[in-house]
Amino acid sequence: MDNTTTILGDVDPEVGQRLVSRREAIMRGATAGSSVALGLAMASAPVAFAALARDAFGQSTPATVQSVIDFALVLEIFEKEFYSAVLGVSSSSAQNAAFATVRAAAAAVPGAVAALQQIQKHEAEHVAFLTANGAKNTLNLTADSFDFTGGQGSGTGPFARATTELPFLLLVAQGAEDTGVRAYKGQAPNLQSNTVVLEAALRIHSVEARHASKIRRMRRMTGAPAVVKYSGTISGGGVAAAGADNISSPPAGAVTALNLIYAGEDNVMQGGVDVSKLPNLPSGAGTAAATEAFDEPLTRAQVVAIVQPFFKVAIS
Amino acid sequence: MAERGKRMVIGSADELWKGSTRRGFLKMLGIGGTIVMLPGVFEACDALQPMTAPGSTTGGSGAVQLDLSNDFGILNYAYALEQLEAAFYTAVAGSSAFSSFNAEQKEVFQDLQNHEVIHREFFKAALGSHAIGALALNTATVSASLASTATILKTAEAFEDLGVSAYNGAGKYLTDPTYLTLAGKIVSVEARHAAAIRDMRDAMGVTGGDAAGTRFAGDTVVAPSGPYAGLDVKLEPSVVLSRVAATGFVSTPVSVVNTPSKQGTPDQGPPSPTP
Repeated sequence: MDNTTTILGDVDPEVGQRLVSRREAIMRGATAGSSVALGLAMASAPVAFAALARDAFGQSTPATVQSVIDFALVLEIFEKEFYSAVLGVSSSSAQNAAFATVRAAAAAVPGAVAALQQIQKHEAEHVAFLTANGAKNTLNLTADSFDFTGGQGSGTGPFARATTELPFLLLVAQGAEDTGVRAYKGQAPNLQSNTVVLEAALRIHSVEARHASKIRRMRRMTGAPAVVKYSGTISGGGVAAAGADNISSPPAGAVTALNLIYAGEDNVMQGGVDVSKLPNLPSGAGTAAATEAFDEPLTRAQVVAIVQPFFKVAIS
Repeated sequence: MAERGKRMVIGSADELWKGSTRRGFLKMLGIGGTIVMLPGVFEACDALQPMTAPGSTTGGSGAVQLDLSNDFGILNYAYALEQLEAAFYTAVAGSSAFSSFNAEQKEVFQDLQNHEVIHREFFKAALGSHAIGALALNTATVSASLASTATILKTAEAFEDLGVSAYNGAGKYLTDPTYLTLAGKIVSVEARHAAAIRDMRDAMGVTGGDAAGTRFAGDTVVAPSGPYAGLDVKLEPSVVLSRVAATGFVSTPVSVVNTPSKQGTPDQGPPSPTP
C-alpha cells in the first residue's frame, strides 16, 4: 500500500528510529518543545526525559492507533453484515434467507427500507474507509462469521425473533447503533496523538449517532414506549433506556444484553458537576433530561462483552 | 465564468447586515463580480463606533474573543455555540408557533431546549472564571426565525448540523483527554438532534438534495462518495464562526485569535444556505 495515500502514512512507521534521532537532536540543542527546554534549563533530568518522551512520541505509537482502528473495523463489519442480511444483499445466501420474514415486514412500512439501506450504505463505507486507511481484518471476518441471533454460532440465541418480528429487529438495530456510538466515544482518547485518525473516527461516530436517532424514531412511531424519545436521545440507563416494553416476553438473554448496552447511560455527573442540578434549567428539565443530554462511552472490554455472542469466533 | 458580469448594488449599511446580501457580497468577492457601494452605505460609518446590527441589543460592548490556542479557548468556542442554540430553543418554547406544534414537535423542541440549556450551563460551570460572557442576540433575526413551524425547523436543522460540524472539527485541538471525552459525549447528542430535525422535515416533504426517507443522515451531510465517503460533516472553527456570523443571530462581536492548525480531514459542511 502506498503510504502517501493513507492517513496513517502521515505517521512515521519507524518510530523507534525517529525517537533515537530526535532525542539525539534535542540533546545537541535542536529546537525542543517548551517543556523540554524548560526541563533542560532547570537541569532537572526527570522533567526533561519525561517531556522528551512526549515530544518524540508526538504522534502516538502506531500500535495503539492500529489496535483501535482494527477494533473499529470488527464492529463495522458486524454492522455491515447485519444490515446486509436484513436487506437481503449479503454475500451469504444463508444470512439473507434467515431474515426473509422480517425483510417483508419492513417493506410494508413506508420509508423503513430506505432508512435501512442508507444505514447499510454507511456501514459498508465505514468498512471501506477503515480498510483503505490501514485497518486490518485480522480475524478474516466474512458474512458467515456472524450469528445474528446472539447465540455465538448456535443460531438459537436470545435475538432469534429479530429475524421474524420487525419490532424486535429494530430493537437490535438500536442496540447495535448505540453500542457503536459508545465504542467510538470510548476509544477517542486512544487516538488523540494521531489527529487525522481521531478526526475521522469522530466523523464516523456522529454518523452512528444519526443512525441511532433514526432507529429510535422509527420504533417510537411503531409502538415503542415514550421513553424512546422522538429527539432520538437516550433517556435513563440500563434496560429501561432501551425502551423494550413493546416487545412481549423478551428472552432473559436479550434483557441481559440490553442492560450491558445501556449500562451507565443514566449518569448525571459530568466533569464533577451534577448536570441535573445546574442553574437556569427549563422547569421540565430534570434527571431524565440530564441523562439524555450526554451520551456515555464504553470501554473496549465492555463492547466485547456485548457483541461477542454475535460472533462465531472469539474477539477481543 | 458566467457570473462575472453580475453586479451587486448595496444602498445602505443596513443592507450589509441582511443574510442574503452578506452571502451575496462574499460570493461576489469570490467570483470577481462587481460590488457597487452607494454613498448611503458610508453615512453611518464612524471609525470610533463599533458596527452594530440593526435591532441588536447591545451597542458593541461585551465583545468576545476566543483564544483557540488552548483547551479553554476550544471549550469556550463550544460554549458560544451552545449559548446560541439554547437561546434559540428557549425562544421557540415561548413562541406562538410552539403552541400550534403537534405532540411530536412539542416533545422534540422541549428536549432540544432542555439539552442545549444543560450543555450551556455545563460549560459555564466547567469553565468557571475562564468562561466568556453571555452572547447577545439580534432580536430581529430571532423573531424572523420564529415566524412559522417551517422556519423554526429550518433554523434548528442549521444549528444542529453546524454544531456537529464544529465539534467534529474541533476535537483534534483538545489536548486533555477528559475534555475530549466530554466533547464526545455532547457531539453524539447533537447528531441525534440533527437527525431528528432532518427526519421531521423529511416527513413534511422537505428533501433539500437528499433522497426521501434518508434525510436523517442524508448524502448532503454524510459524504456519499470519495475518500471520505460515510463520514459526517466537519468544519474548522473559523469557518463555523463565519457561518454563525452570516446567520445574523449574534450581535455580540466574536473574534478569534490563535486559529489552531493540526492535520485533520478536509472541511465538509452541511448545505449553506440550509434548504
